[in-house]
Formats: sequence, structure tokens, C-alpha cells
Amino acid sequence: MTKRILISLDIDGTLEVGDPPGDLTMEMVRIAKSKGYIIGTCSDRPLSTQRKILTQYNIEIEFAVSKHMLPDVKEKFDADVYCHIGDRDDLDRQYAIKADFDFMWPDEAAAHHWFHK
Amino acid sequence: MATENAPQSMYRSEEGLGIWEHRGKVAAVGIGHSPTERRWDGSRDTSVGALSILALRKAMEDAGVTPDQVDGLVITPVTTTGAFWPEEDPLPWDVIKSYNQTDDPLDGIAKLSAEWLLKNMPELTNVKYTQYGPTCMSNALNVASQAVGDGLTNVCLVLKAWHNLPGRYYQSGPNAHDAIQGTSAIRTLWGAPACSGTALQFAEYCRKYGKTHDMMAPFMINSRRNGLMMPEGYWYQHRPEELTAEDYEYARWIAKPANLFDNDIPIMMAGAYLFATSERAKDMKQKPVYILNHASSEAIPRSLTPSLDEVEAETASTARKIYEGAGITAADLSFENMYDGFPQFHQFHIEGLGYRGIKFGEALDFYQTDISIEGPNPVSPSGGNIGAGRSRVWLHTDSIQQIQGRAGARAVTGVKPEIAVSGGPMPLGGNYTVWSATPD
Repeated sequence: MTKRILISLDIDGTLEVGDPPGDLTMEMVRIAKSKGYIIGTCSDRPLSTQRKILTQYNIEIEFAVSKHMLPDVKEKFDADVYCHIGDRDDLDRQYAIKADFDFMWPDEAAAHHWFHK
Repeated sequence: MATENAPQSMYRSEEGLGIWEHRGKVAAVGIGHSPTERRWDGSRDTSVGALSILALRKAMEDAGVTPDQVDGLVITPVTTTGAFWPEEDPLPWDVIKSYNQTDDPLDGIAKLSAEWLLKNMPELTNVKYTQYGPTCMSNALNVASQAVGDGLTNVCLVLKAWHNLPGRYYQSGPNAHDAIQGTSAIRTLWGAPACSGTALQFAEYCRKYGKTHDMMAPFMINSRRNGLMMPEGYWYQHRPEELTAEDYEYARWIAKPANLFDNDIPIMMAGAYLFATSERAKDMKQKPVYILNHASSEAIPRSLTPSLDEVEAETASTARKIYEGAGITAADLSFENMYDGFPQFHQFHIEGLGYRGIKFGEALDFYQTDISIEGPNPVSPSGGNIGAGRSRVWLHTDSIQQIQGRAGARAVTGVKPEIAVSGGPMPLGGNYTVWSATPD
């Protein structure tokens, strides 16, 4: 049976459209989405801005939350793998650990098979 | 002789001083802003020195004044947003050497002296008066107002600039050391973020008056909206993102009850104004905005951070000084641009002022009414630091622009912009200016 995978994406320093730009391209996100993964954003950007950014690239996301809301995401979505991808130890990795998510740095994620055909 | 901080005698920090002796005899005319950036990219043309020169030149051009007509320069020498040059990092000698240097290599990079500016602005051939107004533009404006009124300078440039370096906020400088000299270790709570004192006061405020954090949302939304109409500001120039009530409600706590958006974003920028005697100002390119008074708060808290009682007592006292020296009452204010970085003390300022008749404990209810620029009770039409980034300048720029009729999309339309007050930063410890369309 296929594993259900939930991917939480930081924006700034993680996505190519972030400030600063990160390693994950929007095409990579689109590929992950096409594989049926549950994709959402978890950033310090306003929630409304998170949604707008992804909408601009025609990527439908399942959630947009602040960093401290990863536990809410876990509670809301049933998955086998929960992974947060971000560029900061304090604001990404620590929050991921606290919420019992796996964690990947943007460069690791960009090389991961989730984001490639 | 090196430029010094303004003497205490230049500040109007006591009640009972009467009408300011130079009321209406000093005016702001020109405005100059550099572009904003989130952090310094290390290049020559975006250093804090470069931004400052740009802002000063723009202010002169805006006023229609030639550099040789300027005879005074009042600036704030501290430019840090909380980011200091890391001791272990090599100095950027390529940038430093590309300018005329003072004996401090970080001058123009992570601090700013009047001497550095004069060495690098050879066109300012007639500056005979230089002075520092420490901390922020509000202070420098008070000094410049008094200096022009006292005849120390007739045409005076006023400047505040900010540098912001890569790295985390308040993690360098003295905070990076194992030990702190002097009394800072006692005065500065270990591990507490900068907003923690204001958060404590806000928590006390909510308990005392039965208010809640989410009641701040209309103010935050209004401030960001106004800031997104401030072309000089950071959010307008780089990230035109609105704030919604949901955005505000779900932001993470920094120091509960202060969340991420209750903190302003540190940026690089420089802002400058050209002040002159009213006599000289009337022939300049822009409409003069007359200064009716300047006032200061110098209260010292009893303990580590001011209590709400101390805040309320001091903002009330500050308001009495503001009104007394200007010869006005709260009813004369067309709008207010009191400081908002942190936004949770903006209501302390306006309650102290009695803006639109509000009393202590009523500002958050007032925020639930129409506080927009289109309404009869505009609050922070500049958008402040929340709307345009940390500068402590927007509030003054907006006050001048509104009265000059140059606020563009941000122009207040529900009231006629005739008299305004701006200033800060803290409820205990700030400087304020009363602006007017007419000298009397």
C-alpha cells in the first residue's frame, strides 16, 4: 500500500520564490503535488500571503499555517509520513521536532525523489 | 571639535514651561528618503553612509535649497537596528576606503558621524552647526527645532539612518559576550526579546480593562493598509502584503501576548528633512509645515520595565507638555502619528493624548470604530513601523506630507489636515513634535 506523505514547506529561504530564494523550485512542488502528496505551507509570512504565493503558481495547497501550528496540521491530516522542509534551525527544525515531524533542509529536499519525476 | 549630543537645555521635558518661545517660527519644508532594503548587501552604494547622503541630497532638492544655503546638520549617530558588526568578521575595507574616512572605520557602515557626512558631502560648504539627537529621528527633530528657533542654524538638515546586517536580531554586540559590563546585566532581562516589556504592559492593560489581544487587529490591518500606500516604505517597495485579522490572530508568539506581527521588521534606510526659519521657509519650493512645539519625556521606570501605572502617568504628562507648549488642546488635532514600534504601546500614547476624547482603557474599543484615513478619526495614517518597516521616520514624513497636501493615496480625507502630533518612541522616554499648516 502506498504511503501517505504530507509535506510542509517553509517559504523564505526554502522555495525559489522566497526572500531569500531557496533551492526548491515551484516545478518541484508541482511534481510532488502530482504524486498525490498532501502539500501545504508553514511560514512566518501572513497566512493570506502564503496562499496567494502558491495560487500565483497554480499550486493548490491543503494548508497554510504559522510555524507553531504544525501540531494542528498533524491532527487534521492523516498521513504515514509528516515532513517539514525549511532553512532555519530555530524556526524550522526545532518546530518540526517539537511537532514530531521529520525534517529536511531545502538542498536535501531538492535532491529527494519526492520532488522529481 | 567632534559633534556632541544636544545639551539637556535644548529639550522641553518639564510641565509648566508655557508656550514654546519659538512657536510657529520654525518650519519643515523638504523631505528626502533613500530606498529601503531588508539588509545590507555589502556594496558601496547601499551602505548606511550612502543611503544617508542620498536622503540628505533629496531633502535639499525637495525644498529647492542649494547645498551652500545649508548651515546646520542634526543627525542621530546610532544607526543599528540591533545588528552590530560582528567582532570576528573582517571589516569591509573596499567600501570603507571608497569614502573619505574618519578615525573610526565603521563610520558610514555601522554608525554615522556628522564629520563623516561632511567629509563625503563636499557640497555642504557652509555648515557651521552640527549636533546629535540621540536614538531616533523624534529626538533629532526636537534638537533641530530648538536649534533653528535659537538661531544656531537657519537652514538645517535633519537625518536618521539605519543599518541592518545579516544575522539574527539582537544576537550580536554585547549580547554575544559571556559577560556584560556595568548595570546592563541587571537592567536587561536575560533571554527576553525586545518586545517583552511592552508585552508585559499590554498584558496588564488587558487584565485591568478587560480587553483582548485580538482587539488589536483593526489597528494592525489599518496600519499595514496605510503603509502599503507609503511609497517610501519597505512593505510597499518589497513585499506588498496585506494583513488580515486571521493573519494576525494566528501568528506565533514572540513574547505572549506579543506575536510576530506585533514586532516591526528591521530594515536599512535613511530619512532626512530640511528645517528652516519660517521666514526662510516661505520662499522655498514646498509649503512650510510650522512647528508649534516640541516636548520630551524623560521619565525613568522604578524597576526593570515600566508598569502600566507609570506608563499612563507619563503619557498623560507628555500630552500636557505637548498641548501646553503648542497652545492647543486635543480637540485641535486633525490626526495623530504617535509611534507604533511596538504597536501595543500605540494605544498608550493616544490615550495619554486623549485623542478624540478617549480615556485610559478605551483605545482598543476605539480601534473597533472607523480609524481609517477616510474617516473622521484617522489613526496612524503613516502606517508607522508596522506599515512601512522599522525607521521611526514614517510618522514624521506622513505628518509633513499630509499637511503639505503631498500624502498621495494616503491623504486623510475625513478631516482637514491642519494640526498633527508625531513622536516616540517609548511611553517613558520619547520626543514629540506638533506640526501645523499655519504658524499661529
